[in-house]
Amino acid sequence: MASQLVTLSSTLLYAAFLLYLVALLPLGASIKSKSKKPEKIAHIMIVIGFIMQLSYFILRWVAQGHAPVSNMYEFITMFAIMLIAGYLITYYYFRSTLFGLFALPVSLLLVAYGSMFSREVEPLIPALQSNWLAIHVITVTLAYGILSMSAVAGLIYLLKAVPATEKSWRARFLEAVMAGVVIVITFIATTLIMQNVIGYQDDFIYQDKQGQTQVAEYHLPSLVNFEGAVAVKNVGDNNYEEAEHFHSGLNLPPIIDSQKLNTVIWSVILGTIVYGIVRLILRKRIIAALKPWSSKADLNLMDEIGYRSVIIGFPVFALGGIFFAAIWAQIAWSRFWGWDPKETWAFITFMFYTIFLHLRLNRGYEGEKSAWLAIIGFLLILFNLIAINLLVAGLHSYA
Amino acid sequence: MKLKDIRCESCGHVNPPGTQLCQSCGKMIDNDYDKDKIKDLMRYDGSAVRSKTRSKSIFDKIWIFFTSIKVGVSIILAIAVAAAIGTIFPQEYFIPMGVDPAEHYQENYGSLGYLYYSLGFHNLYSSWWFLILNGMLALSIIAASIDRGIPLFKSLRNQRVKKHSTFFRRQRLSAMDEDAGKVDKLVDGLAKKRYKVREEDGNYLLEKGRLSRYGPYINHTGLILLLLGSMLRFFPGMYVDETLYINEGETEEIPTTEGQYYIKNEKFTIDTYEKGDGEVFQKALAEGSSVISNFQTDITFYENKSADIVGSAPDLEAIDESSIQVNHPYRFGSYEVYQSSYDNSQMKSMTFRLEDSSGNTVGDNFTVNLENPESTFPITEDINVNMRAYSPDFLEVAENGTLISETPVPRNPAFVFEVADGNDSELSLLQIMNSTDITEDNEYSVRFVGAEEHIATVLTVKKDHTIPLIATGFVIFLIGLAIGSYINHRRIWIRTDDGLLMAAHTNKNYFGMKKELNEVLASSGMEPVSDKLDVAQTDKDEE
Repeated sequence: MASQLVTLSSTLLYAAFLLYLVALLPLGASIKSKSKKPEKIAHIMIVIGFIMQLSYFILRWVAQGHAPVSNMYEFITMFAIMLIAGYLITYYYFRSTLFGLFALPVSLLLVAYGSMFSREVEPLIPALQSNWLAIHVITVTLAYGILSMSAVAGLIYLLKAVPATEKSWRARFLEAVMAGVVIVITFIATTLIMQNVIGYQDDFIYQDKQGQTQVAEYHLPSLVNFEGAVAVKNVGDNNYEEAEHFHSGLNLPPIIDSQKLNTVIWSVILGTIVYGIVRLILRKRIIAALKPWSSKADLNLMDEIGYRSVIIGFPVFALGGIFFAAIWAQIAWSRFWGWDPKETWAFITFMFYTIFLHLRLNRGYEGEKSAWLAIIGFLLILFNLIAINLLVAGLHSYA
Repeated sequence: MKLKDIRCESCGHVNPPGTQLCQSCGKMIDNDYDKDKIKDLMRYDGSAVRSKTRSKSIFDKIWIFFTSIKVGVSIILAIAVAAAIGTIFPQEYFIPMGVDPAEHYQENYGSLGYLYYSLGFHNLYSSWWFLILNGMLALSIIAASIDRGIPLFKSLRNQRVKKHSTFFRRQRLSAMDEDAGKVDKLVDGLAKKRYKVREEDGNYLLEKGRLSRYGPYINHTGLILLLLGSMLRFFPGMYVDETLYINEGETEEIPTTEGQYYIKNEKFTIDTYEKGDGEVFQKALAEGSSVISNFQTDITFYENKSADIVGSAPDLEAIDESSIQVNHPYRFGSYEVYQSSYDNSQMKSMTFRLEDSSGNTVGDNFTVNLENPESTFPITEDINVNMRAYSPDFLEVAENGTLISETPVPRNPAFVFEVADGNDSELSLLQIMNSTDITEDNEYSVRFVGAEEHIATVLTVKKDHTIPLIATGFVIFLIGLAIGSYINHRRIWIRTDDGLLMAAHTNKNYFGMKKELNEVLASSGMEPVSDKLDVAQTDKDEE
C-alpha cells in the first residue's frame, strides 16, 4: 500500500514536470499576443502543476512517515516546489506573466537536477528523527523560493537593461551566467542519457581517505581517477573481477573525489561544446537571443519585485535558516552554533543579504546594481545547497 | 564654533543645524546628501545626522568612521569572507582527536594545508582577529544606530502638517484636482484605510505604519544583545562542555558538579532498521549496509548525599531513571546530557585455549579479564598457564623482556604466557593475529578463541547560561526585522488652499501604495496618482 503511494507521488511529480514544460508555450505566447487567453491557460496549467507537486509532497510524507525533506533529492525538489510557490505569490501580487517565463525554467532545472540523486525512500538516521526536520527545512526552502524571485527579476532586468552586443564586462558576465545554465543542462542531460539510456558503467576499486576499499561507478569515461584505482567488473552480488576500462591515466589523491570531478570535467567540456554549437546556430550571444523576450519588461517593476522578494524572503531565511536551525542544533548536537560548513554558508548567505539591504537602503544600489546582487545571492544559495553537500564533508552530508 | 541654523533658500523655512532636507519643502539643502537620487533612501527631513555635521575632534573622526555605511558593509563583507575561508579545510575540532594538527594538515592537504594551519585558519572562528572583526561590527551597529536613529526619531515626532507647495512637486507620487471640495471624501476614504489624520487650516497629514521605521533599530538592538551574549561564554561558570565516557554497567561522576551528581550507564544500545520496519523502506534496506535507527543509553541518575563532606566516600541515592537518545537529551538543573557517540574499540576480555603439538585442545578454555587480569589459569589438574607479562595496548618489547604499553586502554593487548606442566616451562608471546615462541621447541601453543568488547557510551555534558540572552537577542532581531520588512510607513500630505494638491511617500512598496491610493482616489472621483518614475521610464522607452 505505502509503496503504491510512493509510486503515485513520484508519478505526480513527473507529470507536473511535463505540465510545466508544456505551460512554457502559452506563457511565451502570452507575451507576444494581445489576447489574455494564453496567459489564463498558462496560469491554470501552473496551478494544476503546483497542486500535483503538493500532492507528491503529502503522499510521500504519508507513505514514509516523515516529511520528504531528508535527502538531496527531496530537498532540491522541495526547493523547486517553493520556487513555484514564490512565483505564484509574485504573480497574484504583480500580475507579470513575463516573470513566469523565466521563473518556471529555473524550477524545472532544479527538479531535473534533484532527480539525479537517489530517489529511494529511506528511513531516518537518529540525528534526523525530530519534528524540527520538517519545520527547519520547509522554512528554509520557502525562504529560498522567495529569495530566488529576486534573482529571476534581476535576470529579466539585466537582459533588458544590458545591451547584448556591448563589449563590456557586464555583458560578458551576463553571457557567462547563460553559458553556466547551458553547462548545467548539458550535465543533467548527459548524465541521464549515459546512466539510464546507454547504461554506461565502468567500476573502479580504490582506497578512500580512511583507507577503506570503495567502488566508484563511472558513468562517463574516466578522465581522472583515484590513486591506485583498479578497473573491475561486477560479477554478481558483491564480487568483482579485474576488467579493462578506458582511463586517461590521470590519478589524484583520495582527498579529492575524482569521480565527481570527472563528471564536472565532462560537463564543462561537453557544455562548452554545446554552448559553442548554440552560438554557431544563433550567430549571436544567448543574451541577444533572449533579449526580445525581456523587451516588454517594466524595469521599475522588476526592480520592485527584486527588492520586495529580498525583504520578504530575508526574515523568513533568518527564522528558518538561522533561528530554527540553531534550536535544532542545540537539541541534536548539544550546541546551537558550531561553524559546521553548512551552518557557516547559511551565515554567509545571511550576511550577503544584509549587505544587499544596507547598500540598497543607504547607498542607492538600485536597478542594475541591485539586480547583480540578487543574482549573486542566488548563486550563493545554490553553492550552499549543492557544493557544500557534495564537496565538503560535514554534519549535513546526507546525500 | 556654534553651528548655525539653516534657512532654506527655496521656501525660507528655518531648519536646525546640519539639516540636509528642508522640513517644509523637502528641498535638498546639502547637495552631497542625495546626489545618487536614491528613491528608497531613508529621509530625516528637518533633522541632522551627527556624523554629517561634526568632523573636528578625534572623537568625531572615530564616530564618522563607525557610522559610515561603507565601513559597516566592509566589516560585514570581511566577516563573511573570513567565514568562507574557514570552510576550505576542516577546522581543528573536526579532525580526529589526539593527532598532531600540524602533521594532520600537512599529510591530508599538502603544503596548502600546512599554510592554512600556519596562518591559524584551523581555529579561525575563535581567532583574535575574527573576534575583533565582530567587535568592530558591534561598534558599527551601535554608532550607526544612534547616529541615524535619534534624528529619525526627532524628524518623525516633529512632523509639520503644512508643507510648502514645492514639496509636493518633489515627491514621487502626487495627484491634484481643481475641486478642493473633494478633500473630505478623500480623507474619509484614507481614514478607512487606517491612516491617522492630522489637520491644520486645510492642510492634512495622513500617516500609518510609522513603527516600520523603527524596525532596523529594534533589530540592531537584538543583534547587540546577541553579540554581548556570545561574549559571556568567556566568564567562568557560564559555560560547561565536558565529555563523559562510561562503560556499560559503570557509574561516573558528572564533571563540574563537584561530586554531587553521578550517572550510571545501565545499558547502551544501537538499533538498526530491520527488514520488517515498513514495507516502503525495503529497497533502501536491501541495497546498502544497515541503517542505524537509534543510539540510546539507559541511565540511572544519582545524587551524592555526602558531597559536601570533604574526603568522604560517595553516598549515592538513585533519583531518576531515564534514556538518553540523539535528539532527546537528559535534563537536570541547568545541565543537559546528550548522546554524543560510543566506543567499542576497547576489549573487555579474551578467551584462549591450549593446544598440544598434535593440534588437540588440552583441558578447559581460559578467559583473561583485560582490566584486571589474574596471574594463573588452571587448564588441567597438572597444567597451568601463568601470565608472565601483559600490556593492554602493546607497543614493543623492552630490553629487560617486559612489554611496553602505549596507553593503559585495552585496545591492542599482548601477553607473555607460560605453560607449566610441573616439569617443563614454555614461554610464548601472544598478540592479536600473531604469536611468537620465546623458548625453543615448544610442545604447547596458546590459541586465541574469542574476545568480548566493552561498549562505552560517550555523553556530552552541557551547561550554557549564555543561551537566554542570545536567544532573546535573536528573537528581538527577528521581531525588528519583521516590523521593518512587513510594515510600510506611508505618509500623505494634502493642501487645499489652491485646489487640491496631494503628495505621498512610503519607505518601500510604492506599488502597493499606488494601488491603495488609486482605489481611494477613484471613489473620490479623482484621477489616479502620477508616478514620477513611470513618467521617467516612459520617456526613456520612447527615446
